[in-house]
Amino acid sequence: MLEFKNVTKRFGQITALDDISFTVESGEFIFVIGPSGAGKTTIMKLVIHEYTPDSGEIILDGEPLHKFKSWQVPKLRQKLGIVFQDFKLLPSRTIYENIETALAVKRVTKSEWDERIKHVLNLVGLENRAHLFPSQLSGGELQRAAIARAIVVNPSVIFADEPTGNLDWETADGIMKLLVRINEEGKTVIVTTHNQEIVAKYGGRVIEVRDGKIVNDHKVSKKHKHEHTS
Amino acid sequence: MSTPLKTSFRYLRRSPFQALAAISVLAITYFVMTLLTTTVYSVGQALTYFETRPQTIAFLKTEAKDEEIKALEQKLQSDSRVRTVRVVSREDALELYKNATKDNPLLGELVSPSIFPPSIEFSVTVLQNAQTVLEEVKKEPIVDTIGFTANIGGKDSVNTVIERLKEISKALRTVGFVAVGVLLVTSFLVLIVVMTMRTTMRKSEIESLSLLGATPGFIRTPIVLEALQYSIIGVVVGWLLAVILIMYVTPSLFTYFGEIPILPREMDKFFMLFGVSFVLNLVSALIIALASSTLAVSRSIRTIK
Repeated sequence: MLEFKNVTKRFGQITALDDISFTVESGEFIFVIGPSGAGKTTIMKLVIHEYTPDSGEIILDGEPLHKFKSWQVPKLRQKLGIVFQDFKLLPSRTIYENIETALAVKRVTKSEWDERIKHVLNLVGLENRAHLFPSQLSGGELQRAAIARAIVVNPSVIFADEPTGNLDWETADGIMKLLVRINEEGKTVIVTTHNQEIVAKYGGRVIEVRDGKIVNDHKVSKKHKHEHTS
Repeated sequence: MSTPLKTSFRYLRRSPFQALAAISVLAITYFVMTLLTTTVYSVGQALTYFETRPQTIAFLKTEAKDEEIKALEQKLQSDSRVRTVRVVSREDALELYKNATKDNPLLGELVSPSIFPPSIEFSVTVLQNAQTVLEEVKKEPIVDTIGFTANIGGKDSVNTVIERLKEISKALRTVGFVAVGVLLVTSFLVLIVVMTMRTTMRKSEIESLSLLGATPGFIRTPIVLEALQYSIIGVVVGWLLAVILIMYVTPSLFTYFGEIPILPREMDKFFMLFGVSFVLNLVSALIIALASSTLAVSRSIRTIK
């Protein structure tokens, strides 16, 4: 469903991604790992067309994203569920209204809004926080709100950029469980992280990026019992 | 309430002072615009009033026959430059004389119709044509003398009044156009500044919306609606204040100007006049709001990927 073919992205003298290629199949759960500055977020930004590649091809559901014109970008973004590292929740709107905005953007029929919002709030466990503003929530709750907003539009692929960054282990684990649950519902989930413990616990396909190159693309077996030592 | 409208109200509530500044400038603009439009209308009405009064009178020779008078009347009536024609017979003239001297009835008793020459009073459609028409009528064999009607005080007086009114009307129109133009441009610039400030304040929000897949139209709509709200409120406030002021001074104006219809006396026509002025104000305000907000928000959207 998503294919990167020899994609290169440079920012001046810096090569953020250097001739990377990989394919993501529908329904997969993938970790993209690597240290900070390895190019993980650049991959996500290329998918949502915030950046365009200097060379190579990006294909999503058979459509060449690298050839997209600016007027096609909103439609593309509406198809994706993006969980941003900094959440990008609208501070002046409640969590309910933030989720509502995603539905309004996608022009979902208004009669469906309430039911869908309640469903995703229930899924992420924020049903009691719906009418609070982002500034009134904790980091973990904000992350869950961002996930709720991403999944409410029923996207085929969820892209979560460092969803566990700056969260304590238990909260991070809760977020991961939520993403796994979403994946089990048939959604493709791509998670970028530098948290090796999370990867070790949940396993699955891991694409390791370092200095803009894919250095490893392999399957990691899932640890059934995680022992947190730190 | 639809989401863009709800969002625009939220924006308005969030920075009430910016909103107040924009609304105040627009209200002043439309207050002045309504007053100026009304003044220009009133001067125009006064001008039409004076222009359409019987301005000229042709005194006919005493030997003029009725058929000849009738022929001249018809000739004038068929002339497109002539607006109104009225034949004043000897008897009519005597009646007018008696009316004018009713304080001293003896004066009326002492005269007979034969001493009054018949006359034809007429007015022209455009005052500039008056001289030419006068010259032509003067050449008619049954016309003795020609002059301006006495009720506006003779030739010099009528010319002076109309010329002065024309000058006032022209000056008012020029000053009005310039003043309204300056105010409209100021309103446009103030709205651009306010809307640019608003979009700059909301830059991260616009960015987030864009990343969620919002189309430029979706992002633009609440901001444009907000500007439209400012302009509608500004027009209503400015227009209403002007109408209240005009209604307050209207009785004094009617007393001062007497029968000169500077403003409609019938309520339906009065409100029709101000209804038209409101619609014109509203249209111009909507154009300004649309143009300024679209320009302001487009600049912000352009920088967002």
